[in-house]
Amino acid sequence: MTFLDNLISPYYTQVLIFVGIYIIMALGLNLITGVTGQLSLGHAAFMSIGAYTAALLSIKAGFPLWASLLSGAVMAGLFGVVLGFPTLRLTGDYLAIATLGFGEIMVVVFYNLKITGGALGLSPIPIKTNLVNVYLLVVLAVLVMYRLQHSRFGRALLAIREDEIAAESMGIHTTRYKILAFAIGSFFAGLGGGLYAHRVSYIAPGDFGFMKSIEILNMVVLGGLGSIPGAILGAGVLASIPEVLRGLRDYRMLFYGALLVAMMVFRPNGLLGGVNFRRLVLRTVRTLTGDRRPAGGDKTGVRG
Amino acid sequence: MFQKRKGMVLAVVLLLVAALVTGCGGGSKPADTPKAEEPKEIKIGFLGAKTGSVAVYGINTLEGMKMAAEEINKAGGVLGKQIVIVEEDNRGDKTEGANVTQKLIDKDKVVAIIGDPTTGITKVAAPIAQQNQVVLLSAGSTGPNVVEIGDYIFRNTLLDAVGGPATMKYIVENKGWKRVALVTSKNNDFSVGLSEIFRKALKEYGAEIVVEEYINDGDTDFSGMVTNLKAKNPQVIVFSGYYTEGGLIMQEVRKQGMKDIVMVGGDGLQAPTFWELGKEAVEGSISYAGFSPEQPTPETAKFIEAFKAKYNKEPDLFHAQGYDAVKIIAEAIKRANSADPKVFRAEVAKTKDFPGVSGVTTFRENREPIKSPVYLLEVRGQQFKLLEKVPVN
Amino acid sequence: MIFELIVQQLVNGLTLGSTYALIALGYTMVYGIITLINFAHGEIYMVGAFVGLYLVTAMQWNLLAAMAGAMAFCMVMGIVIERVAYRPLRRSTRLSALISAIGVSIFLYSLMLLIRGAQPTRFPKIFPDRMLSLGVAEISLLQLFILAVSALLMIGLHYLVQKTRVGKAMRATSQDYDTAALMGIDVNQIISYTFAIGSSLAAAGGVLVGMYFNAVFPLMGYQAGLKAFAAAVLGGIGSIPGAMLGGVLLGVLEMLGVAIGLSSYRNAIAFTILILVLLIRPTGLMGRQIQRKV
Repeated sequence: MTFLDNLISPYYTQVLIFVGIYIIMALGLNLITGVTGQLSLGHAAFMSIGAYTAALLSIKAGFPLWASLLSGAVMAGLFGVVLGFPTLRLTGDYLAIATLGFGEIMVVVFYNLKITGGALGLSPIPIKTNLVNVYLLVVLAVLVMYRLQHSRFGRALLAIREDEIAAESMGIHTTRYKILAFAIGSFFAGLGGGLYAHRVSYIAPGDFGFMKSIEILNMVVLGGLGSIPGAILGAGVLASIPEVLRGLRDYRMLFYGALLVAMMVFRPNGLLGGVNFRRLVLRTVRTLTGDRRPAGGDKTGVRG
Repeated sequence: MFQKRKGMVLAVVLLLVAALVTGCGGGSKPADTPKAEEPKEIKIGFLGAKTGSVAVYGINTLEGMKMAAEEINKAGGVLGKQIVIVEEDNRGDKTEGANVTQKLIDKDKVVAIIGDPTTGITKVAAPIAQQNQVVLLSAGSTGPNVVEIGDYIFRNTLLDAVGGPATMKYIVENKGWKRVALVTSKNNDFSVGLSEIFRKALKEYGAEIVVEEYINDGDTDFSGMVTNLKAKNPQVIVFSGYYTEGGLIMQEVRKQGMKDIVMVGGDGLQAPTFWELGKEAVEGSISYAGFSPEQPTPETAKFIEAFKAKYNKEPDLFHAQGYDAVKIIAEAIKRANSADPKVFRAEVAKTKDFPGVSGVTTFRENREPIKSPVYLLEVRGQQFKLLEKVPVN
Repeated sequence: MIFELIVQQLVNGLTLGSTYALIALGYTMVYGIITLINFAHGEIYMVGAFVGLYLVTAMQWNLLAAMAGAMAFCMVMGIVIERVAYRPLRRSTRLSALISAIGVSIFLYSLMLLIRGAQPTRFPKIFPDRMLSLGVAEISLLQLFILAVSALLMIGLHYLVQKTRVGKAMRATSQDYDTAALMGIDVNQIISYTFAIGSSLAAAGGVLVGMYFNAVFPLMGYQAGLKAFAAAVLGGIGSIPGAMLGGVLLGVLEMLGVAIGLSSYRNAIAFTILILVLLIRPTGLMGRQIQRKV
């Protein structure tokens, strides 16, 4: 840790930590929205559940970091099941609206609960999130997501995204799969929330509003829906862009808005949407090694 | 065709990565961030919002800070060095607050950070400042659990726990208002904290809270809430939130025909917006502050005059606090004869009877300020006029 | 006493609800035709309020003229936004269009923040604070005016959509985009019209609300937009009478919540009702049933 600190300046470390946290949360949302095709506008609500659970366990019960994080993530996942069970029967935009509503309700609930300190929030949460544990978890999250997407489970989710009725008629229990995907996605949001809480040391309900959900969604869409490298790139770009644009000073957010529109107009499927990474890598390797065979790769349509 | 598209994707990705890297590497090069490692300067960081919903406090604090730095520099600086204010915007966002604090310390090498005017971001910035042993002086954060974070953390502002009870005592004992309506802004940490203080004080001085209502910052519709208040017929409306909602609530109160009742609140009401929105509806409203433009000390008179000449407007509490914060740091550096925060930190802690324009400041053992006196101000003729001066010890 | 209080809160709720309904109409019209949740709609409403304010204060226009001016301005703005940010995305995924809408929303908000700052500006008082007695409750002149103007605009919209050629084309486009195009309807033009009408209604709402609550500020579109959106879904998104019903219903229920002492949960009331309604009637109160195509 100290070695890394000496290598990278604390400012970049700080920015990189937040980037890592967002990558984890974006990967979670990518499973729900990108792979399974269920639009969620309430990802920040699950982040907040994870953040509050982990923070409370750290402060009040003295849990070690890993236990707090895990509990927060599991709690978020459970809430994902509880919300998903009734609402995942809704389709498309209606699900989006239900999740949006859930996010707004959670904010109000956190403002009113005694244990979360209302608007006064929770502090001081011990600062335990660092570059090493964040990126260990990032790597773990990427591996889990990769395994998931390339399993029977992942293919079932893709089938649901492409055509729910066809998937159902092929014997895929769509509701169960959707709830599972929702729970896993929420789990990662909760994990990110826990890490966030243990970095900023002070959380309040206002941190987890609708705009935070939108921020995470932007990352997934910008990178390319369903693409793991896309989610990573999207999170990397958007979490650091306010810092990169710092030179623009007061015009920063104006620029950010215009940039979102421009990116969508010119790359509507996201930066890496439709890019088959495996194929791209294979092609590059072959070009470099002089192999002239046409690039193959899997045909399942999994991007990543 | 397909090939070309992929090439484009790669190009876009590469471009973005390049932008990211150069953007990061280059850092921000605003006009007032001078070349690195100039020993002729002492850098003080400004931490606050210049955009977003709490931008007013940030911008005003910064204006006060800049004025103080200018005055000090004109008089030859500190230890023969010029003071430079390095400003960054955090939008009132915690992630950015943390990033900015780290950047100020790490890239700009500031010796002290002044801000954030809000309690929330101060709590995020304080552990970072403490860890890096840089003095953080918050001009504005009034809530609990701030200076406890560490011995590099100070604040110079009138604490809610001092001003709140003094005001409640005044309205109960001098005005004789005993039937109180208490209104809290549920999503505003300052308001929630201050309401607790008001509630305790009201009980202690023998007043009764006949109705309690909640609003949110950013609300505009107060019709239902005011209808509820009216039904209980209180003698005074005690509101712990900010001036925007305060002015709008009073408008609605008059609209619904409650003619004489006034609003009493904390220093959150201290801004011209209060009467710009409330107009005649806020006449007679009372709030407390550690600063009054009518305050007769010569320092304050000089400050107000200079401020008007520079910015062509009346200074408010945040201007005064930002101004004082820079002066307190400069004084400490001078006394310590060193611009190293590890050295002058002890001198900041020793600040005693500092004759600031926002009141006289002494830091207690725990780095909390004692500011005396508390000023009770009343809106008269669309201006805050001095009502009563309450000394504090 | 209790009864009077409830009636008074109903009057408050009705006024608030009619402003929600005005904004909800724009959401519903756009959604009905191109199934896009136009997240920038709340910001259009905010810009409308600022334009109205400018015309009343700086240009000294009278209220109705200023309202018409704001509506015209936002009409043009709505058309431009659709051209620049949504039309290029019509054939791509719904999500991309949604993100683009969010981008527009952030852009407009930041722009107004730069121009006007975060501080609210007061809307000049045009109506005297006179209360008219309704026997058990009171209603102010302004509340009456807002109700009347909202009702007029909604009736006008209903006429336009149901009785005119453009309205017919709109309904055709909303039923089946491609077939409408094949039938010789210039769908691009119809979509432009839809944005123009929706945006102008939002502007009218902005001016009315700015006047009613006495404050115009860049952030005003955020909560109002979300609530109006909830109202549109509650009524059945895509349905014009549904949006009116949803708006008024939300306003009234919210106020009744406040009346029974739930003011600290106020912003959750709208969304709790919304989720409950969606679970029982997934397409809203007056929405048409979605056919699951096999």
